[in-house]
Amino acid sequence: MKRNGGHPLARALSVTFLVFWAFMVVYPMVWTLFGSLKDNQQFFMGKPWNLPKLPLLWSNFSYTWDKYHFGAYFLNSVIVTLGSMALALILAASSAYVLARYSFKGSGVVYYFYIASLMIPGILALIPTFFLLFKLHLNNTFIGLITVYAIGAVPFGIFMLIGFFKALPRELEEAAVIDGASHFGTFFKIMLPLAKPGLLTFSIINLLGMWNEYAFALVLVNDPAKYTLPVGIAVMQAEMQYRTEWGALFAGLLMSIVPVLILYILFQNRITEGVTAGAVKA
Amino acid sequence: MSANLKRSLFIASFILPTFIVYCIFTVYPILRGIYISFTDWSGGSETMNFIGLDNYRELIHDPIIYKAAYNDYFIVFWKVIGIMLIATYFAVALTRLKIKGSAFYRIVFFFPNVISVVVIGVIWRFVYNPKLGILNSLLSFITGKPVETPWLGDSDYALWALLPPAIWAGIGFFMILLIAGIMSIPAPLYESAEIDGASQWKQFFHVTLPLLWEQLKVSVVLIVLTSLNGSFIIVSIMTYGGPDNATQVLGYRLFEKAFGTYQMGYASAVGVLILVLSLLTTVVMRWLMRRESVEVS
Repeated sequence: MKRNGGHPLARALSVTFLVFWAFMVVYPMVWTLFGSLKDNQQFFMGKPWNLPKLPLLWSNFSYTWDKYHFGAYFLNSVIVTLGSMALALILAASSAYVLARYSFKGSGVVYYFYIASLMIPGILALIPTFFLLFKLHLNNTFIGLITVYAIGAVPFGIFMLIGFFKALPRELEEAAVIDGASHFGTFFKIMLPLAKPGLLTFSIINLLGMWNEYAFALVLVNDPAKYTLPVGIAVMQAEMQYRTEWGALFAGLLMSIVPVLILYILFQNRITEGVTAGAVKA
Repeated sequence: MSANLKRSLFIASFILPTFIVYCIFTVYPILRGIYISFTDWSGGSETMNFIGLDNYRELIHDPIIYKAAYNDYFIVFWKVIGIMLIATYFAVALTRLKIKGSAFYRIVFFFPNVISVVVIGVIWRFVYNPKLGILNSLLSFITGKPVETPWLGDSDYALWALLPPAIWAGIGFFMILLIAGIMSIPAPLYESAEIDGASQWKQFFHVTLPLLWEQLKVSVVLIVLTSLNGSFIIVSIMTYGGPDNATQVLGYRLFEKAFGTYQMGYASAVGVLILVLSLLTTVVMRWLMRRESVEVS
């Protein structure tokens, strides 16, 4: 019995609690989906757990996409997320590689300079960043938001990627030098491809974080045409005090949830790995 | 070009761009934030007078700051308790109890962690909706009489009502982290415990808990940090700090002062306070949870 793990009663209780929690996690999402297919009358007259009536109101999605400009927000979010992910990758991978494989004066200082900011919360920087972008004429631009997101991801990226670059065998480098490869050639042709798993993990974690980010997006972008999805959702919810279109609101939520959920299901091993790597940082 | 020069140029070209961007967009704003906290700046370019500690003096006489700090720690306390208990329990159940379908639970429990806090806030706000929400509908259904408690609109309940979404959203992440910790505990330790006839309870207290301590400590510190610096997001979606500051937190106060009433100096002082409290709390938590590290031979 022990080999099987625990008292039968304890196991039964655990299974019950696990099933209960799985329900608690999945149901709100299923319920959001059902809600997105209802009209107002079903919200006001029916119970919240009722299934949506037929015909399903798929038009809520096109309504939110057009009338609430979620099409534009979605595209903005895609641009900002992909842009900042790519920039974070360039900024973090280059520095992490040199810090991992080259010893030079001050490399330790530089490393700790980055790591120290992992302990410093971002909220204090919110106000000065807003005015900095203003001065640089980068407020209300994607470039501004992308730069802020990317550099925000760099300390963790350097911390994580140094581990990956350090683990690569030294002989590869030596062989490359003998073959007459330059420093750049060694990096791009040999090291970068070998570090792919680490780069992928870093990028996936960033995709999720940047897609969902709210505080900086809210403060740094005031032009409604350039809102990202989370800001668009917050604005739409605030409007619900004056006119209620719950079905449309839930359709909007799903536009934010579905892409990251698909990404997570496809790459969940990478994400688990990133979580575990990140845990060591604190 | 000599090999040495080439090497130096290579290092510089890989280190400097990131370093410069980092100095401009991360280091400068933090230092600048600290500086602004000593001024009466309103955000306009004309007046920015150095006023020493005046903002901090105002801060310690502002009753709302105490309320906000209390609420922050209230949330931190219950999040640490709720998340750590449930996440540890799930992590142990999914590893040591060898329950069927554990991969399924691991994947599903992480769902809330990939969703934006904004989305979570909107969903839970609807859960608490007085007339249409799922909570009151369920309570009405069970009790047989209409329940229309405005959970987020009543200062007796509002702060408590923020806890379920915060805990709900945090469990998956820390469960995954703790599972990785348990998996790294050498199997022979459990095997010899089983040969000695130790129950699952005993194994938990004598093997899992001491060897998982480092991960537990990291988890607590992470909850403290993310909560003190991030709780204002869920507040800004669900309650706007209300009713009557019942759910006010420091981060949201910063937000109100900066972009509501344009008191950048005062808001920055709140930001410095959050920074100091985060660092202090982290140090205290590490000290409280200090322990001789367990060597595995």
